[in-house]
Amino acid sequence: MDRRKFLGVGLAAFAALVAPVAELNAIDFRATKPKAWEAEKSAEAIKEMFGTAGLKKTDKIKFTAPKLAENGGSIPINIKSDLDLELIAVFQDANPRSLTAVFTVPKNGIVNYDFRIKMRQTAFVTVVAKARDGVLYSMAQEIDVSIGGCGG
Amino acid sequence: MAKMKIKAKAKGDIVKVKAMFTSLMADTEEAEKKKIKVEYITQIVAKHNGNVVFEVSTSGFMAENPLFKFQFKGGKKGEKIEFTTTDNNGKIETGKKKIK
Repeated sequence: MDRRKFLGVGLAAFAALVAPVAELNAIDFRATKPKAWEAEKSAEAIKEMFGTAGLKKTDKIKFTAPKLAENGGSIPINIKSDLDLELIAVFQDANPRSLTAVFTVPKNGIVNYDFRIKMRQTAFVTVVAKARDGVLYSMAQEIDVSIGGCGG
Repeated sequence: MAKMKIKAKAKGDIVKVKAMFTSLMADTEEAEKKKIKVEYITQIVAKHNGNVVFEVSTSGFMAENPLFKFQFKGGKKGEKIEFTTTDNNGKIETGKKKIK
């Protein structure tokens, strides 16, 4: 058994262990979509996560990130929207694996998230959001990284 | 070991929360380079009155000591918000804070 597979099995086993204790609303995407976390390119990861359905462009979701990041180890990103969203996933092409974070928006939740990511080189960051009616939205922005993070 | 810093402030109906978690967020490649253990948070869940108000699954590409800011409706001063984090090794940490 190679190492990558072994890790996957370990995670699955762990998820099975934790599942009975976990809260009803909590979804562990590592267990339900293990392949999405392993994909190298954003396009593949998005396919694994959301299927092959078409992505819509929208301006109703605001995705704010610096155009030029001096420190790739900590890039602030803000996602804001008034739409009734269910899932928000963040992908980037700078690191060995694409998927960075998946937010599960609770019902009647406010979509206004701030967080920070690592990028080792200049690349596109893609945000894909799934509305509660099943429509997929996507936005992308290129971020220039002058000093790579991620131990680079 | 891991610590959490949580700040929650109620303004009208909306509670603004800032939370910082201590984790190196080192994925395989980074851990090899720095010769440390692979360690990163995979899931963070925040609950208020038993309801999940914030939930995120993360990978090792979040910045070190991840900081999250979010808002939710329906919280009141004096009530508690609870955080649970799980890391890739299966370690679970919890933290509580009163809403100010």
